[in-house]
Amino acid sequence: MLKVVERIARFMAIAGGLVLTGLVMLTGFSVLGRGLNTLGHSGLLPDGLAEALIATGVGPITGDFELVEAGVAFAIFAFLPICQLFGSHATVDVFTNALPSKTNKVIAAFWEVVLSAAILLITWRLYEGMQSKMSYGETTFLLQFPVWWAFGASFVAAVVASLVGVYCAYGRVVEMFTGRRVLPNHGEAVH
Amino acid sequence: MTMLEMGYASFPILLLMIFLRAPIGLAMLLCGIGGLYFAMGGTNMFMAKLKTETYTTFSSYSLTIIPMFLLMGQFATLSGMSSALFKAAESWLGHRKGGVAMASVGACAGFGAICGSSLATAATMSRVALPELRRYGYSGGFSTATLAAGGTLGILIPPSVILVIYAILTEQNIAKLFLAAFVPGILAAIGYVITISIYVRMYPDAAGTREPVPYPERVRALLDVWPVLLVFGLVVGGIYLGWFTPTEGAAVGAAGTGLIALVSGNLNWKVFVESIIATATSTAMIFFIVLGAGMYNGFLALTQVPQELSGWVVGQGLSPWTVLTLILVFYLIFGCLMDSLSMILLTIPIFFPVISALDFGMSPEHVAIWFGILVLIVVEVGLITPPVGMNLFIINAMDRSTPMVQTYKAVMWFVTSDLVRVVILVLFPAITLFLIPG
Amino acid sequence: ADVTLRMHQFLPAQANVPKNILDVWADKIEAESDGRIEIQRFPAMQLGGTPPQLIDQVIDGVADIVWTVSGYTPGRFSRAEVFELPFTMTNAEAVSRAYWELAEETMMDDDFKQFKVLALWVHGPGLIHSKKPIESVSDLNGVKLRAPTRVTNGMFSSLGATPVGMPVPAVPEALSKGVIDATVIPWEVTGALKVNELVDNHTSFGDDALYTTTFIFAMNKDRWDALPEDLKAVIDANSGVEFSAFAGKQMQADDEPSMKQAMERGNNIITLSPDQVAEWKAAAQSTTDTWIKEMDDAGKDGSGLRARALELIEKHSAN
Ligand code: NA
Ligand code: NA
Repeated sequence: MLKVVERIARFMAIAGGLVLTGLVMLTGFSVLGRGLNTLGHSGLLPDGLAEALIATGVGPITGDFELVEAGVAFAIFAFLPICQLFGSHATVDVFTNALPSKTNKVIAAFWEVVLSAAILLITWRLYEGMQSKMSYGETTFLLQFPVWWAFGASFVAAVVASLVGVYCAYGRVVEMFTGRRVLPNHGEAVH
Repeated sequence: MTMLEMGYASFPILLLMIFLRAPIGLAMLLCGIGGLYFAMGGTNMFMAKLKTETYTTFSSYSLTIIPMFLLMGQFATLSGMSSALFKAAESWLGHRKGGVAMASVGACAGFGAICGSSLATAATMSRVALPELRRYGYSGGFSTATLAAGGTLGILIPPSVILVIYAILTEQNIAKLFLAAFVPGILAAIGYVITISIYVRMYPDAAGTREPVPYPERVRALLDVWPVLLVFGLVVGGIYLGWFTPTEGAAVGAAGTGLIALVSGNLNWKVFVESIIATATSTAMIFFIVLGAGMYNGFLALTQVPQELSGWVVGQGLSPWTVLTLILVFYLIFGCLMDSLSMILLTIPIFFPVISALDFGMSPEHVAIWFGILVLIVVEVGLITPPVGMNLFIINAMDRSTPMVQTYKAVMWFVTSDLVRVVILVLFPAITLFLIPG
Repeated sequence: ADVTLRMHQFLPAQANVPKNILDVWADKIEAESDGRIEIQRFPAMQLGGTPPQLIDQVIDGVADIVWTVSGYTPGRFSRAEVFELPFTMTNAEAVSRAYWELAEETMMDDDFKQFKVLALWVHGPGLIHSKKPIESVSDLNGVKLRAPTRVTNGMFSSLGATPVGMPVPAVPEALSKGVIDATVIPWEVTGALKVNELVDNHTSFGDDALYTTTFIFAMNKDRWDALPEDLKAVIDANSGVEFSAFAGKQMQADDEPSMKQAMERGNNIITLSPDQVAEWKAAAQSTTDTWIKEMDDAGKDGSGLRARALELIEKHSAN
């Protein structure tokens, strides 16, 4: 089971990472286009060359920052599952380290359940948010694509985060009762 | 219970949760949700907020800089920049007493110039420098402590994720903050080098020596670091000169380092996936804290705690310098227990209005920038103060043969150097501000 | 106080609109209700979120009262855009009255039905602030500028400029670093953004106005319904068309100091002649046509709205 869940979490992280990489390239091209456009209008180039440059239509990519915003939101939702599965959320364990291992297992299970519940709540509310964006027909400023598309992509990733979260909660509870290792240890990657 | 009382009551509850090992973002989220529930007498408010708040937080244009800087740091490691940096520094300094440790600090400073995160800098440079330090007979504790301290240069020298967050919270200019961080960051590196030279005189056995490297070889090693200079110049220079926004700068840097990694032949699918996973876990961790802090701070604003508290502090008639000192000491103490990002997100909305209301004889912008740099430094000290120092943990995990206690002992020398620097920067604001027009 | 209302908006407390309009309103409500209503003011998005979320915050009760820009959520209040079309507005007081009336006729039960509208207004004539002088449409060629609304954004790209998207607070830095060469805003905002120091040229269109922006001042419906009748009466007496007209008039009055400051600085204030404006109007016509067609296609009777808006503006501009 862990294998399957881990594969799903990795798949989502890679999907998010590819989107992020795509946005990095998009932004890079947009900056380059804007720079060339400025150069063409700067009077630094000989007239013929400047005109040819401008005639190519080179310039910033319209709505680049809208795509960055929508894409990064998706990427971060897509990054949540692997973060939770690998126990990468920041914690302070200096005080709990002094407690017996059994108590620590209970604490770990408790917070994992609460964290998963919080992610479920977030996912549900995100769905409501998507519904309301859909009903108002709200669009972005420049590209004017419906805002709910971006919510929708994030929602899909959030659903996966919820499923992985539920598995993590289950795993920690099993660990608490049986002492059997189910999940990777806190802060320890499984790969 | 009045709203104000609820606001104050939330502090101990939050701390209790955090000390009981709740994920910090979750603890803040719960306090925010719970606070809004009690303050409004129902679920309506937090349920409504959550409808759009998560998406808006995760899609905030100014925060998109964070995953991009993290990705850039990952690509920089793959492209061999970290080893080139260490090699160059080591070939020039390695033959001196403590020279390999000094070279590690120098390489950390260089890597910090293209990486926005302390943990990434510490982890990356340890991978390169730790085996070398041990090979030349440096003691375990001294090696790990040097790299833990050197790692903090990742944040102190711009670009810096923490400064981005500070800039957003206090509505300051990111480019100016980066510029202001530069000299204090260099001072930090110099301070660490001095610390090393003192340490090896106190404990001569802690460091070995080796033969000097011939000059032609040194020059060649130095020439190999050109990609680092190129990326740093392009990203930080470009942001400051206004060629692009900070987010665009981070994207350009990530694209540039990615390209260099690709060209150097180090970037295949497997390592690409590895760098994505590393970026993913840090990014999700950071944004979950940002989300929780957003909910919690929304609740605190509603209770008017920040206004009341800053009014109360100002009303005490303490001198501005006393208040500043108390705040910095607070950060140092909490830095022993909490990580820097959580502390910034949690406390800046409360402390910044306090500092803004005091008169330090400087323009409000100068005070904001100066305070930001001071806070940055003290929270970074937290990364290497025992018992909870994230950098210490990361490096000790990479060198299991060194007991934590030895790292703790040696790192106190570097902590001392940090404290001396903080005092100097508090007494002479001009060191931080002379590059920033008034 | 019997009732505490949280008023949330995106500008700092000392900016013109909060200081000269919103606080005036809130103080009056507090005074005329004999302190039974208290209005807690949260400027600069202190309650969290981003400016585009304000309208959802008032609908969902995160805030009780908000002031926001209708164009922050493109597509949601598209009828109000009729006043943002190029060369439609005359003066802010008249257009604010027209906006309120048209809203009563077409928007209150539709676009605005999820909140109680307290007032609707527009700012004074928007103009172009640029590094190089801009007189004819062809001067826009290759100019990178920040346009404030969806409509003006479409217009400037069709006129040959390169619109660059960014939030308002980013404008000063973008101007000083050359990320943009020009920005389009009313005078009232130029002071806070230091635009007068960053550019030397301001293009105004004489008696015509290039564009304006529509604002919404709204209250949460449940909080409104729950108010006792006498307190509702206090709010109603200070809201509606008259307060909208006051707010529009005040915003346009706040243009004056900034314009004076630019003149004292020796900036080049270009006032286009009616002939020159005619060229701009002709060039901008396609923006209006496109808008009408989009609205017609969406079943919102673009041509009817346009005609009625012009009629109302003329009616109020005449007095
Ligand atoms: Na850095
Ligand atoms: Na610490």
